[in-house]
Amino acid sequence: MSNFISNFLDINVPKDQFDQIFDHLKQVYPDGEDPWGLNLKKTRRSIEYVWPIYKHYFKTRVFGAENVENKPYLVVSNHTGQIAIDGMLICTAFATEVFPPRILRSMVERFFTSIPYLGTWAAEGGAVLGDRQNCLNLLQRGQSILAFPEGVKGISKSTTDYYKVQRFTRGFFRMALTSGVDILPLATVGAEEIFPWVYQAKGLAKLFNLPAAPISPLYLPLPSPVDIYIGEVYKIPTDLSPESPDELIDPHVEKIRDQIQEMIRKGLENRRPFFANRYGRRE
Amino acid sequence: MSEYKSALIIGMAGGLARITATLLTREFPNMKITGVDSRPIKEPLKNSNIRYLQFRYSRSHFEKLFRDQSFDVVLHLARMSHSDTSNNLSQRLETNITSTNRILDLSLKFGTKKIVVLSTFHVYGALSDNPVFISEESPLKASIKYPELRDVVEMDQLASSWMWKNQNHIETVILRPCNIIGPQIRNTMTQYLSSPYAPVCSDFNPMFQFIHEYDMSRAIVAAIKKLPVGIYNVAPDDVISLKEARKVLQVPNIQLPSFVLEGGVRLLSNAFWSFPRYLIDYIKFASIIDNSAFKAHAQPFEFRYRIKEALELLKLD
Repeated sequence: MSNFISNFLDINVPKDQFDQIFDHLKQVYPDGEDPWGLNLKKTRRSIEYVWPIYKHYFKTRVFGAENVENKPYLVVSNHTGQIAIDGMLICTAFATEVFPPRILRSMVERFFTSIPYLGTWAAEGGAVLGDRQNCLNLLQRGQSILAFPEGVKGISKSTTDYYKVQRFTRGFFRMALTSGVDILPLATVGAEEIFPWVYQAKGLAKLFNLPAAPISPLYLPLPSPVDIYIGEVYKIPTDLSPESPDELIDPHVEKIRDQIQEMIRKGLENRRPFFANRYGRRE
Repeated sequence: MSEYKSALIIGMAGGLARITATLLTREFPNMKITGVDSRPIKEPLKNSNIRYLQFRYSRSHFEKLFRDQSFDVVLHLARMSHSDTSNNLSQRLETNITSTNRILDLSLKFGTKKIVVLSTFHVYGALSDNPVFISEESPLKASIKYPELRDVVEMDQLASSWMWKNQNHIETVILRPCNIIGPQIRNTMTQYLSSPYAPVCSDFNPMFQFIHEYDMSRAIVAAIKKLPVGIYNVAPDDVISLKEARKVLQVPNIQLPSFVLEGGVRLLSNAFWSFPRYLIDYIKFASIIDNSAFKAHAQPFEFRYRIKEALELLKLD
């Protein structure tokens, strides 16, 4: 399969680079597995499948990798692209283009872990149940987590709302306060145009009790170039506790959201040309 | 602790009780141990401090036992396994709930100082949305999907509420161990793991914790010596996926989709394959427990066997 994709895209996976990355990760996960179901061999295989798509289909670029130090982070990103392709690209970036390489643990919805094959495939690649205690246990054991505080609202946007960061929930910030792990804001630019023409039929979604009902003439992902911007660390304030009232938490959550929105704004100015760019938000 | 002079082990015919008794004779050389079981006790240990009794777990038998001799320590290791299909539910309810209640009340009445009750991690249930590292305070969800498991949960809850109610009079410790494996343990999971014909789910590969029987016996002794009143998960620090565990045991992983496996268990159960339907969930979804409370109170306690070593030893058997 990996060969098929590589041949199709006329690109080979950089074996030496991957050997170095996974030699390092072997030191982090000496048993090759971890309690959350990660399987290092299968993670490598998954990244090898994704790599040609990451590098040559979406032509992903990473900016700000120097902001990442050798310690755990709660990575907080805007959510774009209708089917959460951004999560896959961000995780690949942190495994292959950030030093030291790390398997970013992305949080998945509760129903996801019960899906045959898919739930196991995701867990073996590093995904974890988006349960607060679960994530705290991960952070306390030195793992980095990827969170999308916009939730489903982030990816279920109509074209007219592309790149408007939706309201953040507070859970991620309380997790950071509990664990003492710093927040790393991140912005993804370009993933909205993977599906450039979308209308979210909210009434239809409500009628069928679905999280979203995207109406689009195109359900195949387009090769929109994607840029990932890793921002400067947002230090956890020392004067707050995990049980601080919402009024004290909200200004920090808003600041992080504003920081990501500003990173998106700058990213949009510097993005590469793609025919679908004109359909999304331009400023 | 040093004043513990006598112990009662209920469930003495089991492999775990046998190892625990041996360890107790080393830790407490003057301790008189009485081992009881409703099953015949094969190859009793040759130690003058250990005596064996075989009787049905009835009120009158236990009352006579406690009247005849007082026990400083009672180890209740006689939980009737829910994973053994030869035990029907009414038998299990009688043994696990009624007998447990009887043993606890008699221990209190006759001045026992410490009781250790062996429960199981199965009380938490195997659910797709289980967090990793389930703590002792987590809800016991085992019987939500399968009412057949209610005795497992009820026995634990009965012992818990009794423990807190009587904590000023008697020290009670409840242990919830992960899967216990070893050459002397003949439980369903050991048989499943080592059987070359038992299939695994192709669509799921949950993480597992296994504790070697010797480490579990050491944990029981540590519970007597060190653990204060409370409930403790017992598991080693490492984990292993089900398919990797079977690879270590060098048994083939015959893979079938879980729906085929569930259908097969329904059709074949009680005929060719005695694997209870509700245990299928335990080979689909992980139930990984947090051992930090046990480690904090039992220290210095090091698990002797890592999971792969414990599995290797099982292979030698």
